[in-house]
Amino acid sequence: MKKLSGSLRGYLILLLLVVVSWLFFKVITPHNFGSPENMVKYFEAGLIAATGAVGFYFVMVMGMFDFSIGANIMLSAIIGCVFASRFGLGYFGLVFGCVLSGLCVGLINGIFYIKLRIPSMIVTTGLALIYEALANFIGGAVAQTLPSDLRGFGQMPGDIILAFVAFALAYIILNYTKIGTYTYAIGSNEFVAKNMGINVNKYKVLAFVISGGFLGLMSILTISYGSSMVAVTGMQSMSRNFVPTMGCFFGLAFKKYGMPIQAIVIGEFVINIIFFGFIALGAPTAIQEVITGLALLIIITLTSKPVKGEIVK
Amino acid sequence: MLTGIYSIESGKFILDGKEVHPRNQVEANNEGISIIVQELGTLSGLTVAENIFLGHEDRFVKFGIKDTRAMNKLATELLEKYGFDHIKASDMIDHYNFEDRKLVEIVKATYFDPKIVVVDETTTALSQEGREELYKHMNRIREEGNSVIFISHDLPEVLDKSDTITVLRDGIYIDTVKSADVNEDDLKKLMVGREVVGNYYREDYGEKVSDEVVLSVRNVTVPGQIHDVNFDLHKGEILGFGGLSESGMHEVGKAVFGASYDREGSVTLSDGTQINSIPTAIKHSMAYTSKDRDNESVVMNQSIGDNICLPSLDDLANKVHLLNGKKLKSFAQEYAHEMSVKMVNTDQFVSELSGGNKQKVVLARWIGKDSDILVLDSPTRGIDIGVKQDIYQLMDQMRKNGKSIIMISEELMELMHMCDRIIIMKDGAVNGELMRDPEMTENSLISMMV
Repeated sequence: MKKLSGSLRGYLILLLLVVVSWLFFKVITPHNFGSPENMVKYFEAGLIAATGAVGFYFVMVMGMFDFSIGANIMLSAIIGCVFASRFGLGYFGLVFGCVLSGLCVGLINGIFYIKLRIPSMIVTTGLALIYEALANFIGGAVAQTLPSDLRGFGQMPGDIILAFVAFALAYIILNYTKIGTYTYAIGSNEFVAKNMGINVNKYKVLAFVISGGFLGLMSILTISYGSSMVAVTGMQSMSRNFVPTMGCFFGLAFKKYGMPIQAIVIGEFVINIIFFGFIALGAPTAIQEVITGLALLIIITLTSKPVKGEIVK
Repeated sequence: MLTGIYSIESGKFILDGKEVHPRNQVEANNEGISIIVQELGTLSGLTVAENIFLGHEDRFVKFGIKDTRAMNKLATELLEKYGFDHIKASDMIDHYNFEDRKLVEIVKATYFDPKIVVVDETTTALSQEGREELYKHMNRIREEGNSVIFISHDLPEVLDKSDTITVLRDGIYIDTVKSADVNEDDLKKLMVGREVVGNYYREDYGEKVSDEVVLSVRNVTVPGQIHDVNFDLHKGEILGFGGLSESGMHEVGKAVFGASYDREGSVTLSDGTQINSIPTAIKHSMAYTSKDRDNESVVMNQSIGDNICLPSLDDLANKVHLLNGKKLKSFAQEYAHEMSVKMVNTDQFVSELSGGNKQKVVLARWIGKDSDILVLDSPTRGIDIGVKQDIYQLMDQMRKNGKSIIMISEELMELMHMCDRIIIMKDGAVNGELMRDPEMTENSLISMMV
């Protein structure tokens, strides 16, 4: 009963966020924002980042971070595109290339983090530069374009099916496998978890691998939706970190209601409502980014509500 | 080491003729050994059932998928069998308080009928009710032919609950005795290494406490914790607070020191200063030591010197607010030595010290600050008898020097023997007050507590 009322409350808060953010822009710009068709479009756009965010959640719950998300998405999308078109492997190549690349990046992140014994933020920042260089080497400085007959995951129902398969998978891993239990155990108290016989390093690497795999799936949706990907360098890929990371913050904020995966999905929807709302307003990009950032920080602050006196790091 | 929390550098453990060398608690469990630890041994973010079976999930996993329903069902059966029906297996452990989480630990440590259960200083963190529950299960384990290694600094408890007692001092084996053959004084002698001469507690009775009020607490309420607490603290008085663990007495200490959130009512010093925040309290010569020593009193990964100097940095800085390393070191050394902290030097990290020496560092900090009002929450919790005696004597000396002390404790004996007055808390409110009296008994306190 307690759990039901908890998750019910979580859903109500999220629903309120959706309604408030929709209403805000609908009132200001009633004609070119927020129609039912548009809302479906925003939801579809939100699914892309949510697919990566549900994997990244495993890393964040354990108290680690990954600055190579954007580089991973970019590299995986380029590799998937190369497999699909240059090697002529079609959809199989796209899915296989993207997921394999994502998993490998996750594995490398995890192994470097464990072996170097330095903070995950630093490790993944350094590795992001390498992934960017690798993507640039594979794709050259030109855009890698996915053939139009291979863009089924960029539209309905392909994107919805792939995204919901990913969400279901994340939900099962989190709630119905040892990995989920150990993820929370390590995030709660690593020392105690170790004493319980949990191979902490193994599960940390696994968290990065899971995250990488889901980011690989996100890269399928990204390149299918956008049709092409250009390899950038000089840490420019980090701009892709923001949206999945914010979705993850929704997951962490709503963990207490027992519904982190659902919160990530709906949270990304809210982020996209705000994002498209600003586009409808015709606000300059810089203003859009400032207000979006502030709005999201306010939302997370209001929904997290840490206990008074609780130390937040 | 027996349960794999720390590794063995030399020597071995033999159980039923076979060497056991667990690397973690799960391996220890598989060898038939389990432990209930002093502090919290359950993990937030997991359910009660997940905590009970943490490390043993494989029995519920089929084709990689965890059968949560079966896990919850078995956990529920175990909780019912133990009489802990109010704890629900599927609830997040975070929903339960410290005591209930300890009960979950009892189930976790004993449900698989281990041959040896280590109970490590667990009782100091429990109320009387929780202790009784633990004793019940210790007896059950013994009656079933298994063994309990009961680690405690509480001598009456050790004598009452043990068959044989092994005494260690400074990490060295001293002796093993039959509990029927020894009394508290014999144990103290073994523990300290000498006859415990002089007073253990303060010995005076009938001494009049000054009428001068140094601190007035009026209508103090902390929502959900304490309600309408009123009292005065006098100069040179040791005022005790007793009660069950969740009675609100620990919150009183925080509220008085300005460390409670949403506090209502007033805490006023004799000069009219209102204490509403920690900086104000410290500035006006108040000190506080928390029950949760490791998390709230000492900065674990800092040196002894840093810990002692921390609240006195303003006093130690020069006119342009720069600190002199030599001055800090000499200050730290002076008070560390005054408190006889067992250490290599003041650069040693606090995390390397025993519980008793950590507490000495905390007290050295406030003595260095020359605080006039000390709020000591569970000052002797989990520390050995020698250090306890030192702390009692220090408190007595401070009292004689005109310092005022609020002593919050779950140990009735120290309240009875150290305090001029004892306020008993129940359900967040004051439930009675007792004056210092040689005829006072534990029962007179317990009757007000429960």
